[in-house]
Amino acid sequence: MSSVLTRSGYADPATSLNFKTGSWRTLRPVHKHATAPCHGACPAGEDQQAWLAKIQENDVRAAWETLVNINPMPAITGRVCPHPCETACNRGQLDQPIAIHNLERWLGDEAIANDWPYPNVPAIDSTRPKVAVIGAGPGGLSAAYHLTRRGYRVTILEALTEAGGLLKSAIPMTRLPRDVLDAEISRVLEVGIDLQLRQRLGRDFQIDELGDEYAAVFLGIGCQKSREWSVGGAVPADLHEGLHLLKGWVDHLSMPEAERVVVHGGGNTAVDLCRIMKRKGAAEVTLITASGLPGPDTEPDDVLNVVPRELDEALEEGVVIIPHATIQRLIMRGSRVVGVEMVSLKKLPGKSGRKERIAFEGTERVVATDMVVPCIGEVVDPEGVADLLHGGSYLRARDPFGHLEDHPNVFVGGDARGDRGTVSAAIGDGRLAAAAIDSYLSDTPLPDLTPRPPIPYAGLNLHYYEKKARVPVPKVPPERRTDDLEIEGAVAGAAAIAEAHRCFSCGNCLACDNCWTLCPDNAVIKTAQLASDGSHYLFDYDFCKGCGICATECPCGYIEMIAEP
Amino acid sequence: MTEIKDAQRLEELRRKHGRLAPDLSAAAEPSPNDDVRSRQPRFCGLESGHRACQGCGEALGARLVSETAGPDVMLSNATGCLEVFTTPYPQSAWRVPFVHSLFENAAAVASGMEAALKAKGKRTKVIAQGGDGGTYDIGFQALSGMLERYHNVLYVCYDNEAYMNTGIQRSGSTPHAASTTTSPAGQERMGKRHLKKDLLSIIAAHHVPYAASASVAFPVDVRRKVRRAMDVEGPTFLAIHSPCPLGWGHDGALTIQIARLAVECGLYPMVEFERGEVVSVMPIRDPKPVTEYLKVQNRYRHLFNDKDPRAREEREHLQALADFNIARYNLKGVGEDVMDTDGLDTVRRGGPVQVM
Repeated sequence: MSSVLTRSGYADPATSLNFKTGSWRTLRPVHKHATAPCHGACPAGEDQQAWLAKIQENDVRAAWETLVNINPMPAITGRVCPHPCETACNRGQLDQPIAIHNLERWLGDEAIANDWPYPNVPAIDSTRPKVAVIGAGPGGLSAAYHLTRRGYRVTILEALTEAGGLLKSAIPMTRLPRDVLDAEISRVLEVGIDLQLRQRLGRDFQIDELGDEYAAVFLGIGCQKSREWSVGGAVPADLHEGLHLLKGWVDHLSMPEAERVVVHGGGNTAVDLCRIMKRKGAAEVTLITASGLPGPDTEPDDVLNVVPRELDEALEEGVVIIPHATIQRLIMRGSRVVGVEMVSLKKLPGKSGRKERIAFEGTERVVATDMVVPCIGEVVDPEGVADLLHGGSYLRARDPFGHLEDHPNVFVGGDARGDRGTVSAAIGDGRLAAAAIDSYLSDTPLPDLTPRPPIPYAGLNLHYYEKKARVPVPKVPPERRTDDLEIEGAVAGAAAIAEAHRCFSCGNCLACDNCWTLCPDNAVIKTAQLASDGSHYLFDYDFCKGCGICATECPCGYIEMIAEP
Repeated sequence: MTEIKDAQRLEELRRKHGRLAPDLSAAAEPSPNDDVRSRQPRFCGLESGHRACQGCGEALGARLVSETAGPDVMLSNATGCLEVFTTPYPQSAWRVPFVHSLFENAAAVASGMEAALKAKGKRTKVIAQGGDGGTYDIGFQALSGMLERYHNVLYVCYDNEAYMNTGIQRSGSTPHAASTTTSPAGQERMGKRHLKKDLLSIIAAHHVPYAASASVAFPVDVRRKVRRAMDVEGPTFLAIHSPCPLGWGHDGALTIQIARLAVECGLYPMVEFERGEVVSVMPIRDPKPVTEYLKVQNRYRHLFNDKDPRAREEREHLQALADFNIARYNLKGVGEDVMDTDGLDTVRRGGPVQVM
């Protein structure tokens, strides 16, 4: 086509595409998948944002599959985890955090109800190495599940007559109903795990003997021995130790009766025990703890280590909690305790920089009581692992994977490490140990645990979100609570999906079209197929001028402007 | 024979003056993204490769209008940035028919296009577009005539509040106290002495079926208003507030933020007129102080000079103008409304939360 220059001219449509305005750019937008606060805080290593996104897409099963790729027991953790994810949730700074634990529980319950098979489980291959897992608690089950999915043949050796560990022996039914617990554990075992019961370490077998049959060993033995407790040498004749009482209660509903009870400790066991005592008719139940109650003035590492709603429920039921105090003397009549003298204290940084307990002189006071129950924690039972303890109380691992010094094929996880304390942490340990065992047996490098950069609240563009209240959760009122009725009700179906839509999608693409809609240069291309980073968009660097509107207007902080290379 | 001689003569002159005609037949060179570009789930009226500045609000506004109105649409354009940056000879960024004649006659050309289409029995809609200079001032009588003759044309004014194409001269749309090259802030004046012309009321006084203001900060609202105007048989008018990073003196990344603040502080009210009456406004959920909008733009920098007593006075003046708008159009929202300034830009997975 030739043309004649006159006073007018014309051009064919969209010929401007020949002019690559990308050469003007000094900064370029890139997608940056940051760590959402929920993910960063999760002891089990779940990426809650990832599975909430699947619920937002109305694909509940895909959400559950995403979840169980990390944590095989969502129906359990949704009920028992203290959900640090919700504490960290950025949404908490706008209105209230996402009800992550309720949604996790819903996914777990849906999978049980619909009998969805666990994803990515290979057929058992008799040529693959065998791995022994000692202890069928949450850590052991998690390790066995992840090892099975990696193709190993796994045998769990459990001392008791059923699997579950502390989940079964020490968590009240009001929080974790037995049918849910049994259903989820049996589903995990069905992926192809060989469970051998009544096999006690030290009595029925030794770790050294396992080497003949098994290529590696995971120790998920927990802490089975109560810490010695005495105050100034005085030990009441009828001393009941907390975890022991709780196990007796969960097993056969027995609980010594007393009018006035003092419980000493700062964990879930202590609070569970207080509530059971109260329900059994004790007039006064007092919890004395060295930790603080949650509040703006309490440092995060000083807060009572209890599931927050459990603490609220305990207060509703009339348990009295005395924070920042300890028992310094037992007042005895003969060998019976009739009162305790307590003193205020706080955990403050000492000369060495480590926190020390400082008692405040002049704050001593006396509480009359009929029974004192210490819940001050447990240590590893040395039977069968004395060599590994090196005289300590715990099996100190040298890294998150659970490697033990001098034992390249023995790994540890869960409470036995001494630096854990939740079911979720044990589940996370099991998964990491499975990765480490796989790395050891296949002679491949360990996975890189360096986290993606975090995304703070200030990294989001809040104009694009509306305030919306957290979903209300039904709850059995205090006067109708019984020994085995689950207190917290379910959030399910449309209410759960609506709750998932409250998720900001911190640091990951929300597929909201903002970048695509607001680019003045039409340089964002919408394509879920070609976007290899899991987003729904590509930047067309032929035309992007680098103005940065997309980065400013991305609600999720998923777009970053970097210097042009 | 004469024709051949003319052609030869023309060729000679071109060589002599170095004005050889470029080859217009060149289609866009293939790029790896062509395939997916051609399969985007929206019509593309304004393509990439145009020469607008980084973060141009007008380019965004024109893209939104053309993709909502197209493809069965023809454009007539006044002289201005939009015309210059979309059609640098011999290229065009448009995928719809586009005519540019003069600064003052976009509405007149559109009137003729509409009459011609009508004569040919075609239903193609005509859109006339211009900047605020070509609309508030230079093309105003052509626009008024178009409205009065009741042509079936949508006129879109991309309002960036000065003659940006020629170097930031003040226009009838430039707000009070804004500094431009012809209303510079200094010892004599605190920026523009006069007030922004209330063009929308003048348009409404023509008793047209639909006239509205919109902002690039609310694309869902822009699209709705364009669809509404396209549905009307008769003259309609849309003013789209379009920040200009160069003329207003702000980072191009902040275009949307600043456009949003203009609406949220009340200085740029979102109003819809039908037959001269206000039929709808976009309520402001939490009105922002005008200083939040002013302080991020260099054209208002002189209003933040603590040593100059006039600065405070002009800030208060602009706040009073914003309060006047809020009172006049009853912009203060009551409670939460999905159609207010906070509700309209809400997103969720899969796109904006569309309520209409």
